[in-house]
Amino acid sequence: MVNAPHRKLLSGNRLLAEGALDAGCRFFSGYPITPSSEIYETMMKELPARSGLALASPDEITALAQCVGASLCGYKAMTATSGPGWCLMIETVQYAVMTETPVVIAVVQRLGPSTGGATQGAQGDVLLVEFCTSGGYTLPVFAPATARQSYELAQAAFHWSERLRTPVVILSDKEVGMTLESVDVSSLARLPVAQRTPFTGTHGQFLPYACGCPLEPPTFVALGGEERVVATGSLHDLAGRLRKNVPEAVDLLKHLQAKIAAHAEDMAIVEEEPAANAELLVVSYGISARAARAACRRLNREGWRVSFLQLLTLFPVPSEAIHRAAQGCSSVIVVEENLQGLYASMLEPIVGKDRLVRVNGLGNMITPAEIIKVAEAA
Amino acid sequence: MSYTYITPNATLPYCKGCGHGQILRALGEALTRLQLPPQEIVIVTDIGCVGLADAQFETPNTVHTTHGRSPAFAAGIALADGTLGEGRLKPIVLIGDGGAMIGLNHLVNAALLNPNMTVLVHNNFLFGMTGGQNSAFSPTGFVTSTTPTGNATPPLDLARLLIASRAPFVARKLASDRDLAETIARAIAHPGFALVEVLELCTAYATRWNPLTGAQLKNIAEAAGYELGILREEPRPTFAATYHQQAASVPAPPITTSDFTSALDRPMGLVLAGTAGERVQTAASLLASAGMRAGLQATQKNDNPVTQGTGFSISEIILSPEEILFTGIEKPNALLIVSDEGARELERNRVFADAVKTTLVLADDQIALPDMPCRVFRLPFRRVVGPKLAATAAVLAWLNIARPIPLEAFWAASEARYGSESNSEKAKLLSFLENCSFPDACGKVWDTAGGVLISCQGNGSAR
Repeated sequence: MVNAPHRKLLSGNRLLAEGALDAGCRFFSGYPITPSSEIYETMMKELPARSGLALASPDEITALAQCVGASLCGYKAMTATSGPGWCLMIETVQYAVMTETPVVIAVVQRLGPSTGGATQGAQGDVLLVEFCTSGGYTLPVFAPATARQSYELAQAAFHWSERLRTPVVILSDKEVGMTLESVDVSSLARLPVAQRTPFTGTHGQFLPYACGCPLEPPTFVALGGEERVVATGSLHDLAGRLRKNVPEAVDLLKHLQAKIAAHAEDMAIVEEEPAANAELLVVSYGISARAARAACRRLNREGWRVSFLQLLTLFPVPSEAIHRAAQGCSSVIVVEENLQGLYASMLEPIVGKDRLVRVNGLGNMITPAEIIKVAEAA
Repeated sequence: MSYTYITPNATLPYCKGCGHGQILRALGEALTRLQLPPQEIVIVTDIGCVGLADAQFETPNTVHTTHGRSPAFAAGIALADGTLGEGRLKPIVLIGDGGAMIGLNHLVNAALLNPNMTVLVHNNFLFGMTGGQNSAFSPTGFVTSTTPTGNATPPLDLARLLIASRAPFVARKLASDRDLAETIARAIAHPGFALVEVLELCTAYATRWNPLTGAQLKNIAEAAGYELGILREEPRPTFAATYHQQAASVPAPPITTSDFTSALDRPMGLVLAGTAGERVQTAASLLASAGMRAGLQATQKNDNPVTQGTGFSISEIILSPEEILFTGIEKPNALLIVSDEGARELERNRVFADAVKTTLVLADDQIALPDMPCRVFRLPFRRVVGPKLAATAAVLAWLNIARPIPLEAFWAASEARYGSESNSEKAKLLSFLENCSFPDACGKVWDTAGGVLISCQGNGSAR
């Protein structure tokens, strides 16, 4: 039986960790927090056997700072947390943005605000994760809905983190992370993962923040190599020297945004189930995408014409895919488990306020029936 | 040829007489003495006047970080290089008293882990860059911009705290000490975590507001009860030296082979409710694995309070011949309830209110249940097999009635997980199943599909 499925009962957290390991993650520093702890535990058990280092850090700030340190040495590094831990990490996320240091952070959401509901799922951190930098620099964010997607998006996160030298977030949640499901491991996709482009210029001529093109990251030299490395989170010139707002330093800030924006289309990952002559488009991400997909299939079986679009890339916003899928639809229904429809606000300028319908939930997973009710009324 | 480190004849960015300049010169002298390859040195600076030091280094790497976090970044560098690389890098952290207080847990953590790194704490008793505010290190009576009548809070003894944190090398020096460079060199040469706290005066604020001169640093130290000199030098194995001894891999869950079949032609959702510590989730995962052995797909969504070993434990299991999208259960095909805590949680979640007439309920015969519109079977799970096996017995009882998959698939899943260890439990459970009567009289209300009980109708209890 060549194509027989090889099923394992696995959680999203477990497969997210496996995806990171298969992407070449060599360093992990973690701090326990429900519902992300299984990622930490898996890395503590698996990394030593896969030529890596996993550490128990005393807090989330230390965890991410240690990851950045390891990344400066050239190792792919990751940590995992939930909303409360993410809040502590934001200072260091900004440092990684500014120093163009690749690092991956898995944020497994729980119900907030504050310590909130540790064992309850939610999709309330989507904008907190994205708009965490002063200046609102685009932070790539990927959101799995299944264990399989957790595995694949962990690899995508490492790819883009390395490719563009930026922190990248994998935004999961309690229900995606902790629910076990049968996964055909023979069908899990291994994705290519980029390496930082090494400096190959003349010895002694290395400028740590010099980019051949502002849309690409600078070339990389690891600490301990032949070239002198200068890193700083303060406004700097190409050599990494502190500068006030000289044009060179301001251009480097513009570059931080431009390098992400220029690759937005390449970064866009979506899964679509388009319906011919669709009247409605249902857009969702993360855990709610499962209910939304189920709702669309039921509606179409009953004779409706509803297209479904799951966004696996949340940021940069996959505008083209959304715009295309929404063409001809009278309403665009955005399904997400938070009070106000946080991500839906990102769709407003793309599909227009008038077409936008929100399906939101709090405290429990949104059910297919709730979505169907709204779709039928739309 | 010898290495140089600090830009020769550099004009330091510090006020005249500032201790930062003295420390930087002593560090330069220490590095010159040690002659480590500059590319192996990483100067990791914190925020404050101390963070202006980066620009003074000509050859070593420099990493300018965030306030108080420099020891954590440096530890990441030293730990990664020590275990994954060649272990040649030596991060040297330059941090002030303000940063040391913010990053106290980073310092304690690094001291405990013992990576190969050095920390130079520039303790000038206040925040210099921002205007001379009081710090946790300000001496009692110290006048600062935020303690105009004198600081009333005693200062932290950082060196003693780091000794308590098992730092293998701790020293406290005065910036004016002639042998400062020698002590710094000794700290850098120490294999592992080393910290030197250097007492110094901020000439912009401290000496302006307090009757101080450099010669009085010693008096401040005495008044604060600070010991001076190398306070501890007891090498112990670094983190990298001990790490690989701990390395051990835990095998991934096994691939589940499909060695049974199922006649199930639609998704089936089951809620198993019990008490934490009574193997509810274990029973659920055996059921999910058994379903997979019979060629079905499965999900298992667990719920528990924040605590791990007390309170309710609930698992929702879906078995389906096709892909499972929504992992919640809108209309349960069956509820299996094996403890009062499980029953109460279902009630809180309004699961009973949502239960439909066709839901089959198997409940322990000693627990309290509200009236339900569906068929409830009461069985003596807890009395006969005990609380630890009650959930497993309920799953088996349900399999015996509904037959979505063969019982043998469950035993195969159990054996795959526990081996023959579970033999005595299996005997107990088999005996329970044989002695349980499932009234055939109810057969006529079964709604079956392909031989599988999907739902049942009618209400009332049966034993």
